[in-house]
Amino acid sequence: MSDTTPYVSLKGMSKSFIGIKVLKDVDFDVRPGEVHALLGENGAGKSTLIKMMSGLYTPDAGTFTVGGEEVKFSSTRDAAAKGIATVYQELLLFPELSVAENVFLGNYPRTAAGIIDWAEVRRRTRDLLDQLDSPELDGDAKVLTLSVAQRQRVEIAKALSKDARILIMDEPTASLVESDVQRLMEVVRQLRARGVGIVYVSHRLPEIFALADRVTVLRDGAHVATRNIEEVDEQQLVSMMVGRPIDSLFPKAEAKIGEPVLEVKSLNHGRQVRDISFTLRRGEILGIAGLVGSGRTELALTLFGMTPATSGEILMEGRPVRITSPRQARDLGIAYVPEDRGLQGLVKAMAIRKNVSMATMERLSSGIFIKAGAEARRALEAVKRLSIRCRDIAQPVGELSGGNQQKVVIAKWLETVPKVLILDEPTRGVDVGAKAEIHTIMGELVKQGVAILMISSELPEVLGMSDRILVMSGGGITGEIDRTEATPERVGAAMTAHRNGIEEAVR
Amino acid sequence: MALRSLIRHETFLALLLVIVLFVLSQQSDRFFTVGNLLNQGRLMTEVGLIAIAMTFVIATGGIDLSVGSILGLSAILTGVFWQNAGLPLPFAAAGAIAVGTLAGFANGVIITRFRVPPLIATLATLALYRGLAEGISQARSVRGYPEWFYLLGQRDVLGVPTQLWILILAAVVASIILAYTTWGRTVYAVGSNEVASRFSGLAVEKTKLALYTASGFAASVAAVIFVSRVSTTRSDMGSGIELDAITAVVLGGTSIFGGRGTIVGTMIGLCLIQALKNGLSLAGVKGDGTIMLIGAVLILAILASNLFERSGTRT
Amino acid sequence: MTAMVDLPPVRSRTGLQRQGFIRRLFSEYGQEIIVLSAILVLFVVVTLINPRFISANNLTTIFSGNAYIAVAAIGMAMIIVTGHIDVSVGALIGVLATISGTLAVAGYPIWFAWLAPVVVGMAINAVIGILVAYARIPSIVVTLGALSILRGGLISVTGGTWITDLPPDFLIAQKRLLGFPVPLLVMVALTVLAALWMRYTAFGRSLYAIGGNAEAALATGIPIARRTVAVFAIHGAFAGLATILFATQLQVIQSTVPPNLELTVITAAVIGGVSILGGTGTVIGSTLATILFATIGSALIFVNVSAYWLRAVIGLLILATVLADMLRRRGRG
Repeated sequence: MSDTTPYVSLKGMSKSFIGIKVLKDVDFDVRPGEVHALLGENGAGKSTLIKMMSGLYTPDAGTFTVGGEEVKFSSTRDAAAKGIATVYQELLLFPELSVAENVFLGNYPRTAAGIIDWAEVRRRTRDLLDQLDSPELDGDAKVLTLSVAQRQRVEIAKALSKDARILIMDEPTASLVESDVQRLMEVVRQLRARGVGIVYVSHRLPEIFALADRVTVLRDGAHVATRNIEEVDEQQLVSMMVGRPIDSLFPKAEAKIGEPVLEVKSLNHGRQVRDISFTLRRGEILGIAGLVGSGRTELALTLFGMTPATSGEILMEGRPVRITSPRQARDLGIAYVPEDRGLQGLVKAMAIRKNVSMATMERLSSGIFIKAGAEARRALEAVKRLSIRCRDIAQPVGELSGGNQQKVVIAKWLETVPKVLILDEPTRGVDVGAKAEIHTIMGELVKQGVAILMISSELPEVLGMSDRILVMSGGGITGEIDRTEATPERVGAAMTAHRNGIEEAVR
Repeated sequence: MALRSLIRHETFLALLLVIVLFVLSQQSDRFFTVGNLLNQGRLMTEVGLIAIAMTFVIATGGIDLSVGSILGLSAILTGVFWQNAGLPLPFAAAGAIAVGTLAGFANGVIITRFRVPPLIATLATLALYRGLAEGISQARSVRGYPEWFYLLGQRDVLGVPTQLWILILAAVVASIILAYTTWGRTVYAVGSNEVASRFSGLAVEKTKLALYTASGFAASVAAVIFVSRVSTTRSDMGSGIELDAITAVVLGGTSIFGGRGTIVGTMIGLCLIQALKNGLSLAGVKGDGTIMLIGAVLILAILASNLFERSGTRT
Repeated sequence: MTAMVDLPPVRSRTGLQRQGFIRRLFSEYGQEIIVLSAILVLFVVVTLINPRFISANNLTTIFSGNAYIAVAAIGMAMIIVTGHIDVSVGALIGVLATISGTLAVAGYPIWFAWLAPVVVGMAINAVIGILVAYARIPSIVVTLGALSILRGGLISVTGGTWITDLPPDFLIAQKRLLGFPVPLLVMVALTVLAALWMRYTAFGRSLYAIGGNAEAALATGIPIARRTVAVFAIHGAFAGLATILFATQLQVIQSTVPPNLELTVITAAVIGGVSILGGTGTVIGSTLATILFATIGSALIFVNVSAYWLRAVIGLLILATVLADMLRRRGRG
C-alpha cells in the first residue's frame, strides 16, 4: 500500500478500429498493492484499454511503461512475461481439459528431460487453489463440470501461477451470486495485501467503494478523471460516467394500466424457475431485478417456449395455454428480445430488411413466396419509426452500432404486434443516446396497451422504468415491490436476502 | 456487402467459365459442337441433381457425405425390385426412390434428433448405405431393361437429352425456392445463425430434416437416371460422387460454413468442372489429369474469392 | 497464510470430489476403455464360436494387415483434435506408395525409398497446412481439392500400372522382429510415442487447447497458425510411415488404395474418442478403434456372415457407436 510508484503506466494511449477512434489520449497507471477500479459505460473504452495492457491490441499512439521501462507488446506472451495477467469476463478456459491443465497451459513445469511434469502440475495447482481458499476444487476435474465462480478461481489461479504482479479483472462479478461475490472480494483483498496491483473493471458501484483505492472513469473513449476513492461519492461517479445528471435518463411515460394479459401460476422449469406466479397487465412495465443466474432469463425462456415449463399454468388473456416453442409463443402474442443480441437476436450477415421480417415471414408471403415489396415497406417503416440509423435497409445488420442493432431486434418483434413484450437487458451494450431512445419506445408501446416484462441488471433502469418490480433470486421470486415504494435498498435487499432461505427450502 | 461479394464470386466464376470454354474450343474443334455440349449435359445430370440439394444442405452449414451411397443403394434396389421382386419397372424405380428418400430422412433424424454433427452422421451412413447396397446386390448386376426405360438416360426429347431437361427444371425450381420463398430465407438464416433463427420462431429442425430428406431424394432420382444411362446396376455406383458435388457447390460460391450460396453459382461450378473434364480429354489430356486440375481450380477459386472478400469493407 | 475471514462452507458438487485413480482413468479414457472392452468381448465370443479365430495366422491378419490404417489414424487424430479434418490422406498414401516403390525399383538405397514418403508427405501436408492457417481456407475445402489433385495426379502419372520386382529387403511389412510382425511393432511403438508426446509435451497439449477454444488459445499466447502448419506436417509424416507399411505388404504396389481409405481413417479416429468438434481424444483410442474394425471384419467372416454384408454391419456398428457417444455426451450435459 505504501509504494506509490506505478508499476504499469500508460500515457496518451489512442486506438482506432476501421477509422473509428475508440480510445483517445488516455492516461492510466497501476501501483503495486492497490486496487484501481476502471469505470465507464459500455463502449467507453474499458475493454480496449485492458486488451492493450494484456498484449491483445497494440496502441496506435502513446507510451506504455512497465517497471520503468518502455514496452511494446505484440502478444499476450509479452504481457505475461512482464507479470501482467488478465481474467476476462468470458473466462477463456478450455472446458474439456482439467483444472490443473488449464492453470498451467502454455507454462508447464518440466522435468529435467524437458517433458511436462504432471505430478508437479497437480501439486502446484493444489497449492494455488488452497491459497485461493478453494479446497473443494479438484485439480483433476474437467473445467466443464465447474460453476462460473469456480471457473473464475481457476482463471485467477492461472494468473497467480505466472507470478502476476498486475492482475486485470474484467467485470469479475457480472455473473456471480452474492455469496460468491463476497468470496471473490476477499480473494482480491488478499492479493492486494501481497503486493499485487489489481485493475478492477466493474460498473457495480458498491463493490468499487468496498474494494478500490483509486478509481478512473472513461467516457466515449476519453479519460474523464482519476480520483482516490475517498474523494468521490456515488452520485459524482455516475455523472462522470454518463456525462449528465442521471434523472433525465428514464422518461417514464404514464400509461393506463388495464386488464391482465399474462397470468403465471406456480410455473416451474428445472432448478432455475421455481414456483413463479405473477400477473402482467395491459400498459404495464413489470421490471424483473435479480443477479445474473437468479433465474430471470430462464423464466423468460420458459415463457417464450425455448425451455417449456415442466409444471404450472400460463394464462393469456384469461385462457390457459401451453407454450412449447418460440413459434407458438409468437402466435400467442408473446415476443422476446433476447439477452445476447449477437447470438440470439440477429442474423448479422443478413440485411436489415430480412432481419426485420424474420419473425413474420409467413404474414409477408403469399403461399411460400415472400412479397419483397411488402417486406421492404415494413422494414422502411420500422427504420423510420424506431429511427434506426443505417445506410439503407439492404445494409447487413452486423455493420450497425449496438444501439441500432438492438432497435432492429425490437423492430422484428414489434412486427408480430405482440401483446406481451419480454425485454432481456434491453440496453446492454447500447450507448447513452440510443438507450434513451429505447426507453422512449418502451413508453410509447405501453401507451398503445402492450404489456412489457423488462429484465435488467441495471438497478437505476429497473427503478426508473418499471411500474412494479419483481425481484428474483435462486430461481424464485423474493420480492414484489410497487414503483412508489421501490428504493435501491429494498430491491437490493430482496435480490440477496432470501436467497439462502430459498436454497434451504428447496434442498 | 454479403450480396456484393457473392455477385462478385459468381461473376468471377462465369468469366472463368467463358475463358475455359474459349481456350478449350481452340484446342479441339470437336469440343464446341452442339452434339458434344449436349452430351456433356447428359453426363453431368447425376452430379448436378445431387449438387442442387447439396447447395441447400451446405447453405444451412451442414454437409451430406452419404449421397453417393444412397445413389448406389437406390440403383441396386431399382434392379432388385424389378428383376427379383417382379415389380413393374416404374414401380420398382419409384420404390427405389422411396427407399433413397427414406435414407435421407434417416440422416435428418440422426442429425436433428440426436444432434450428431452432419459430417459424422453422414460419414457413418455412407458406410452403412454402401454396405446395404453391397449386401443386397451380392455383386450381381441387373441388366436387360426394357427399351422404353432408356428414354430417360440415353435418348433425347426435343433434341435435348431427357435427363438434361430434368436437371434444368430442378435447377430453376431450386433457384426460385432458394431466392424467393420463406424456405430459402430460412435456409440462409439457419446457416448464418442457427440460434437466432430458433429465437425468431423459425422451424429450424423441420427445415433441416426436410433438406436431408430432399438430398436423399435427389440422390435416388440420380440413381434411376444413372441406371438408365449405363443400362446396368452395380453396387459401387456413385462412389465418390459426393466429392464431385461438394466441389461444384463450393466452387460455385457456397460457403462451407453456411449462410451463403446460390443455385446459379453451383450450376456454373458444375459446368466449369464438366467443361474441363471433357475439353481436356478432347485435347488429349488423360481423364485423371483433369481431376487434378479440378482440385487445383477448387483451391484457387476459394483462395481468390477469399482475397476479394478481405479487400472489401468487412467489419 | 494470513488470517482469513470465515467463509460459508461450500457444498461439494457432484464430480468435484477428489477422484480416485480408477475414476480418473474412466473420466479421461472412457471411450478408449469402451473400445478395448468391445475388442475383448468380441474376441471371447467369436473364439467360442470358432476357435480358429485366435490362430496365429488370423491374429497376424487382424493386427498386422491393418497397422497402416492405425498409423495414419494417429496423424488424423491429431488433426481432428486441433479442430480440422483431412479427407485427402487416402490419396496421399497412394501417391507416397508409388513414389517409394518407384525409388526402390530404380535402385536407390532402401533407406532412401523409406525416407522419401515421410519427407514428401510432410512437405505436401505442410502446404495444405499453410493454406488452412494463413490463407484461411477451411480444411475440408483444401483437402477436398488436394484429394482430387493427388488422386488424379497419381493415375495420370502411373497410368494405373502396378510396380513389380520390388527388392525383397524393401518389403519390411513382411518381416518379423523378435518373433512379432514388424507392422504390429511399428503400430504399437508409434501409438505409444505419439500418446506420450500428446500428453507430456507443451506442443502436444497446445493442440487440445487450439481445438478446444481457439480464442482462449490465442489469449494464452499459443501461436495458432504455426502450430496448425506443424500439425499438418506431422500428420503428413504419419501418412508417410503408414505408406511404408502399406506399400511393403505385398510383392507389388498397386496404383490404387482401398476405396474410402480416408473415411476409414477418419472414422477410426472419431470412434476412438476424438471429438469431431476438436479439443478431445487420444491416439490410443484411434489405434484401438482400428483394431476393433479389423476384429469385426475378421469376426464376421469367422461367424459366416457373407463378405458382401461386411460393410453394412460395420456401418451399422459405426452408427451405433456414434449415437451412443452422442447420448453419453448429452447425459453429461
